[in-house]
Amino acid sequence: MSFIDTERLVTMANQIGDFFAPYPHARRVEGVRNHLRNYWDPRMREAFFEYLDATGGPDVHEHVKEAAALVRADTAPVRAYAGPPKQLDATS
Amino acid sequence: MPIPVKPDNSVVTTCAYCGVGCGFKAETHEGRVVRMVPWKEGKANHGHSCVKGRFAFDYYAHPDRIRTPMIRASIDEPWQEVDWPTAFAHAASELHRLQDTYGRGSVGAVSSSRCTNEEIFLMQKFARVALRNNNIDNCSRICHSPTQFGLSATLGAGAASQHFDSVLQADVVLVVGANPTEGHPVFGSMMKRAVRRGAKLLVIDPRRTETVDSPHCRAEVHLALRPGTNVLVLNSVAHVVVTERLYDEEFVRARCDWDDFQLWMGLVGDERYSPEVVGPEAGLDPEDIRRLARIYASGPKSTIYYGLGVTEHSQGSTGVMCLGNLTMACGMVGREGVGVNPLRGQGNVQGGSCLGSWPHMLTGYRFVTDPEVRGSFEAEWRIELDSEPGLRLPNMFDAATAGTFKGIYIQGEDPVQSDPNRHHVEAALRSMECVIVQDLYLSETAKFAHVFLPGSSSLEKDGTFTNAERRVSMVRQVVEPLGGLADWQITVGLMNAMGYECHYDHPSEILDEIARTSPAYSGMSFEKIEKLGSVQWPCNTDAPEGTEVLHTVQFPRGKGSFMLTQYVPTRERTDDQYPLLLTTGRILSQYNVGTQTRRTANLAWHDEDVLEISAGDAAARGLATGDRARISSRYGSTELTVRISERVNPGIVYTTFHFAHTMVNNLTSNLDDWATNCPEYKVTAVDVVKAAAHAGVGS
Repeated sequence: MSFIDTERLVTMANQIGDFFAPYPHARRVEGVRNHLRNYWDPRMREAFFEYLDATGGPDVHEHVKEAAALVRADTAPVRAYAGPPKQLDATS
Repeated sequence: MPIPVKPDNSVVTTCAYCGVGCGFKAETHEGRVVRMVPWKEGKANHGHSCVKGRFAFDYYAHPDRIRTPMIRASIDEPWQEVDWPTAFAHAASELHRLQDTYGRGSVGAVSSSRCTNEEIFLMQKFARVALRNNNIDNCSRICHSPTQFGLSATLGAGAASQHFDSVLQADVVLVVGANPTEGHPVFGSMMKRAVRRGAKLLVIDPRRTETVDSPHCRAEVHLALRPGTNVLVLNSVAHVVVTERLYDEEFVRARCDWDDFQLWMGLVGDERYSPEVVGPEAGLDPEDIRRLARIYASGPKSTIYYGLGVTEHSQGSTGVMCLGNLTMACGMVGREGVGVNPLRGQGNVQGGSCLGSWPHMLTGYRFVTDPEVRGSFEAEWRIELDSEPGLRLPNMFDAATAGTFKGIYIQGEDPVQSDPNRHHVEAALRSMECVIVQDLYLSETAKFAHVFLPGSSSLEKDGTFTNAERRVSMVRQVVEPLGGLADWQITVGLMNAMGYECHYDHPSEILDEIARTSPAYSGMSFEKIEKLGSVQWPCNTDAPEGTEVLHTVQFPRGKGSFMLTQYVPTRERTDDQYPLLLTTGRILSQYNVGTQTRRTANLAWHDEDVLEISAGDAAARGLATGDRARISSRYGSTELTVRISERVNPGIVYTTFHFAHTMVNNLTSNLDDWATNCPEYKVTAVDVVKAAAHAGVGS
């Protein structure tokens, strides 16, 4: 049993992806990462990741999948923030 | 009792209806409120009032009030009256049982913007220290959560930049998705005063409201856009600002991130946002978009006021960002007569936003995932806090229908009547094992409750409200709580029953705790508010008496941030089956879902929700004013009385949502804002047909 209906999670994730789509690639991914990491309950994230693992996420935007991978790796060097997606680099 | 009754006592307090927060002198006779007199010293209202604050106060003593706690094992059983200790013990026992069975995160809480700052603060504290999770939300989730998100993203503070009086210094007033003459009448009157003095009025709204055209108040430009196209149209306004070089380059270079400004110019300057492309899609004359943009940009003092017509969309947060971007681009922020200002629906929505009643943020809009922020609260509360975001209210309901969320404590809210997709909300509540409702009456939501805790109205307790201009004003007890306890005392009682010991002798001690933990409130106290009359946050060592205008020198993050606001059309579309777009709003004499005002003589002015429809659409369906019509969407249906109106364009229908039996939220979808899950109340594809003679109301 998924924590929340999977279709709902995919819709929400893609909506977030739609918003950040106009940014350059790295910031586009970072915007989605920051949002998933700091606004979503971890059980929602986990259910979404399980869906991606199980299906490959054919209906999920590519940059959302990249962001999900970053959240799972949990290596981002920045704290939560509001505002435009940061341009991350090795020293940030 | 002679009429007029001569009062034997009076107390100055703050109205709990809309976000204007008018000061009133509440007069009593033998312990009962007999009159509400607008208070001339009130800094938000200067002695003015509307028909809600002035006359609609009898609700507090209505026979429907519940005065005794009640419990029941299932929602199919009758209520059993109990004393307060029994109710607290039962509720705590049930919440513990659910957490032991289904996990710590299987329960949550929701606070109310009809309650005081101190009560909202206690609700989020309850979730964090008693439930030991971050499953706490507030009712602005379904109205102004995009304001918090969108203004924080751009300007760095999720609140109005101005004080209300600032509008009197404006040369141009842009109203977007709001109808202040009905929704916020006292501010609406002030705005009309500015217009009478010569300010140009610009309105972006699907309807020709009283704000657009009424005696002494006529909009210079009215963009009656197609519902759902806010971001498209606002980007088009920005397109004109950018391509005609109407922006304030000096301001932007000095105060904003220049690189993001250039990115933004690239987006909105694209041909797809030119008025000539946008106009046909949004139902507008391109030249009107250009005129509006030129007037706004030329100021010299232009100000923006907006409402739920901006926020309650699938791009609600994006729409708010559009306004933040526009304000910065034209240098219309940081001084008197300019700025961007949300018109908050309920009396304390701003307080609900400020005081940490969010699943991802503690007070002052600081993330729970930030260890330093968490640490400051852990030191104050002497308990380790959950480091992960909790569930938003819509996601609590989503999880409940999936069988993974089992209990909720709802303070002063009626989500069955007010939240979108009523069927979904009812299914979620029905699936829970413990629903605790704290309210004045047996609301629609209370039908699904297992514990009922009789709450107190704003006339029955002490505390503070923060209005739409960030003004913190005193709420003073006028009469004794009818249920015996003020709302803050109820939450404290439940917190102790859950095993977290806490005690306050008076709400002033709670505000002291808020001040210790919340930078914007750090200089606040009951004593200071009593002395000054009211105080606008931020109130701290830099501004010990508060702050009227924000962003005067710099933005909270230093530079202002332009956000990229690409238009993404809503998935809610008209088709052959649902050819009309329904949008919703409110009327002067009733308030929100009507829980209070329907229980007063204000019913004489407005006793039912009606469907406004254009003459052409009505004729095509054989409808005349006064007929009953069945309105159907993809999610449900209901019946309303028809009123043919010139206020709505062909293809658009409109209604209010003040009456429970109307069940307008049967119709609305579960589509919501990408950033906040604020529901898309303002766009629902519907069909309208003449009602069968003996049809029921909702389904």
